[in-house]
Parts: sequence; structure tokens; C-alpha cells
Amino acid sequence: MTEDIPNFSYYRGAKQPHFVTQTERQAAEILDYHRVPWEYEPRTFILETDSDGNIVEAFTPDFYLPDLDLYLEVTQMKQSLVTAKNRKVRRLREKYPEIRIKLFYKHDFVQLAKKYDMSLPS
Amino acid sequence: MKPAGAPGDPCADAGRELIGDIYLSSAELTARVTELGRAITADYEGREILLVSVLKGAIFFMADLVRCIDRPVEMDFMAISSYGESAQTSDKKAIRFVKDLERPIEDRDVIVVEDIVDTGLTLNYVLHSLSLRGPASLEVCTLLDRPYRRIADVSIRYSGFIVPDDFFVGYGFDYRQLYRNLPSISFLKI
Repeated sequence: MTEDIPNFSYYRGAKQPHFVTQTERQAAEILDYHRVPWEYEPRTFILETDSDGNIVEAFTPDFYLPDLDLYLEVTQMKQSLVTAKNRKVRRLREKYPEIRIKLFYKHDFVQLAKKYDMSLPS
Repeated sequence: MKPAGAPGDPCADAGRELIGDIYLSSAELTARVTELGRAITADYEGREILLVSVLKGAIFFMADLVRCIDRPVEMDFMAISSYGESAQTSDKKAIRFVKDLERPIEDRDVIVVEDIVDTGLTLNYVLHSLSLRGPASLEVCTLLDRPYRRIADVSIRYSGFIVPDDFFVGYGFDYRQLYRNLPSISFLKI
């Protein structure tokens, strides 16, 4: 995604975030607006390995909010992919019960976008 | 569901096509606000309360709630920048108070009165800012609540209604600053 990255005040990562979607960027802007410190894709969780220890499935949530100790995955995708993300979030919760994660759905984002008068990606 | 725009509805002729069915009638609002006022009255026996409202959405709820509380009550108001306003100036692109409280809240029993809590991000900022001022207690009373959309874990002591993920107008809720004055809460058709 080519983009002009804004100067985020509450980003706590070491290097410039490279957002994959416009939705992720808007989520970052909303977090920054609310003065919520955030990191972008700071950790990958291994969900499944094969008998040789090779990673079969992994999941990297979009954001980590250190002050809230919460991972956030945002999605603006079609339903079939949302279902896949739901499954990954469920697997993560099963394997890492101490981790707090929330999936931010398209509908959640529509609500926020309307509240803040933001344009939504198609 | 009853249609909005009953006799006496000040928005009966203005933008009616945007206003859907009534979700919470004036009578339902009155009944629930009265219950909340009674609960606060019971919980704050022998104490003086400072109700703090974030402008503008909660002012109707605040005005009705305060008249249902049988305790000494003070009111104060704050306003925060909107996202659009903040985005205009890149160096201040963050939530901030554009109107602060008029009096200190140190050692006071404070209740923040909100119109709606969903992600909790705005309320989280408000509560954090107020907690730094040393109130004796700091609670939240919200008319509408969407706990299933929460990101920030804010504690809500008094919650009027758990509501679905729809847009509402009336009783303080606006669409582009209009329709706050509807006496009931209706769905917004957009």
C-alpha cells in the first residue's frame, strides 16, 4: 500500500508502520486521536506446528495497545475472510488464554467512521 | 415500533425521511432515568454529588437525571474536540478538552454522565484526565451502552439501556448536529 504516513504521536514501535489496508491506517488514526499508545504488528503467535516443529499456522494481530494490554485485529473484508479471522482469533484465545484480543469488524468501523465523518475504503 | 414525528415532535417536518422508528419512547426514557436517579440517590446517602457531563449529547439526559436525584447535586460541563476539528491542525491531532470544568474536583464525589459508551476510548481519556485531579470517587452513568464494542475497559456503574449497533437520533443524539431535540430516541435511516 503506497501512502503518505502521518506523523503519529502515540505509535510506540521502533520503525515506521507499513499498513496493508486503508482500514488499518484509519484505525491507527483513531487510536492516535484518543491518545492511546499503540504498536503495529509487534508479535506473531504460533497457532499450530507439525510434528517436526515447523510452523503450520500463525497469526499476527494488527495492533497491540500496551496501556490496555489488548491486541486488536481490524477487518474490512468480505464475510468469508472475516470467518477465517474469527477462527484465528478463537484459536489464539484457546492457545494463549492470557492474551486479550478483540476483532474489530467492518460494522464497528462503519460506526466509528460515521462518528468521525471519515471516508471508508470500499 | 411507533413512527417518530408524533404531535409536538419539533422535527416532524424537518428531514423526516432520515428519522426511522422510535427505539425508546419518551415514557420509556423517563422511567429508566427515574430508576437511575433513585439508584444514585441510594448509593450516595449523606454525600454531595458532582455530575459532570461531556457536551453536547448528554445534556438532555443530564437535565432529566439530576431532577431524579434526591441528594445535593452540583453540575459542571466539559467539551472535547471533535475528530474533524483536531484533524485540521496536525500538531494538535488528538483529543483534548476545548472546554474544561469550571471548578476543581479534588475530594469530590464525581459522576460522569454520558449519552452513550461504545468503544470506551473517549471515556477512557476523560476518566484518566479527571482521575489525575484527585476526586474522592469517580463513577460513570451512561444512558446507552454498547459493551460488546468495548476496546478500553472502562467501568460503568450506572447503565440505562444496552442498545444494538444502530444509529440513533433524538434526546441529545444528533445527525450532523440536528435532531437532538426529538423527545424520544429513534433509529436514523442512513
